[in-house]
Amino acid sequence: MTTRAHRSSAVADWLHGARAVLMKELRLEWRSRHAINLLLMFVLSSLLLVVFALGSDPAEPPLQAALLWIVIVFSAAVGLGRSFLAEEEQGTMLLLQVNVPGSQVLAGKLAFNVLLIASVIGVSVLAFMGLLGMQVHHGGLLVATLGLGTLGLAGATTLLGALIAKASARGPLLPVLLFPMLSPLFLSAVRATRAALGEGATWAGSASELTALVGFAGAVNTAAFLLFEYVWTD
Amino acid sequence: MNRRYTIIRNVVFAWMTLMILAAFLLNIPRINILEHTARNLYFHVPMWFTMMAAVLVSAWHSVRHLQTGSVESDIRALQSARVATLFGLLGLATGILWSKFTWYVGTDVWWNFDPRQTMAAVQLLIYGAYFVLRSSFDEPVRRGRIAAVYNLFAMVTVPFLLYILPRQQASLHPGADGNPAFDEITHPVMRFVFYPAVVGFIGLFWVLYTQRVRMARIQNRLTANPEL
Repeated sequence: MTTRAHRSSAVADWLHGARAVLMKELRLEWRSRHAINLLLMFVLSSLLLVVFALGSDPAEPPLQAALLWIVIVFSAAVGLGRSFLAEEEQGTMLLLQVNVPGSQVLAGKLAFNVLLIASVIGVSVLAFMGLLGMQVHHGGLLVATLGLGTLGLAGATTLLGALIAKASARGPLLPVLLFPMLSPLFLSAVRATRAALGEGATWAGSASELTALVGFAGAVNTAAFLLFEYVWTD
Repeated sequence: MNRRYTIIRNVVFAWMTLMILAAFLLNIPRINILEHTARNLYFHVPMWFTMMAAVLVSAWHSVRHLQTGSVESDIRALQSARVATLFGLLGLATGILWSKFTWYVGTDVWWNFDPRQTMAAVQLLIYGAYFVLRSSFDEPVRRGRIAAVYNLFAMVTVPFLLYILPRQQASLHPGADGNPAFDEITHPVMRFVFYPAVVGFIGLFWVLYTQRVRMARIQNRLTANPEL
């Protein structure tokens, strides 16, 4: 009985710590609204460029799926690199290291990045539907693809954000590190999105893409939790 | 230590010389379209095997570096990644030339996003990013640790391409469905040169890799001790 109670309180402690980090991120974000404004402006301005570039020709579903994911991946690469950088710049890294174990910090930051990416994706999809006339034929498939893509993208950007926060010459490092390792996610997500936008989309038709996305999200997030300690305890 | 290195190096050089002579001089069966380009089998395929071996060596030393934090394993991970990049570029170049003069003869196609080609390109891009990441650190201890984490983190994603890419596009490359890489019709003469070539190229990797490791060690000692 005692061990069981002990274990459940350990899990509760872990969740408590992770939630505290998430709440801190949300509170800071609510004060400045820096990251979300940056991301939304990035999405909207790149969408404007897409619309200008396409002119009045209606875009076909394959092109829409490709452009949607390019906008999502680029805005993630631009906007999410800051999560650990801000701690380093404000000198709050040590405070966090002393108070919260590494895995809880990663979980909190990861959850925050999931929320940010999900809002970016939501805005982009709505804007694509409004501005580019994107039509969704299989809503469930689209939501599943976008959701799994969000998890994979968040896992990759969060750990890479922690890596680049330690670099002495920063510059635009995140896209360089992110894009090569994102190719499996990108390929499967674009294909599944294209299927969901086309007519006659079924769950079975995109099963292999969804499997790949589940596997990618699982592998990346597991690797992130395993490797984070080495980045965090410096 | 140095004596053993010299002996193995000379053996590898003699071995490679014999192998290259055999590759060009021995008579091989002429197959339609392939003709004499079949001799590229002795170079292109062993280069890929060598690259894969080098990638595994690099990953292994990254793991060791995270476990022990030793400078030596960081040097080994970096130098192995460099030699892997060299062999990857050579394998890519020989593959592009080979496909240009067989599959795509008479067309303008140089690059066809064949699954294997794409995978190689992704692995090379990851190493490119790994070198860029290394160059953005001043402090060696931190550089080694962060680079090892990136090396392993990025490598986790590569096997997914094995699953995803063949579903994107059918491959002309041997080893894909219904097209065995190496079967009973492969002539014994070719096997007789091919297997030694694999051994030779891996030996060449060992020579280049240990040479670079020793040089990096000396460089480290010099930067730590400028008076030497």
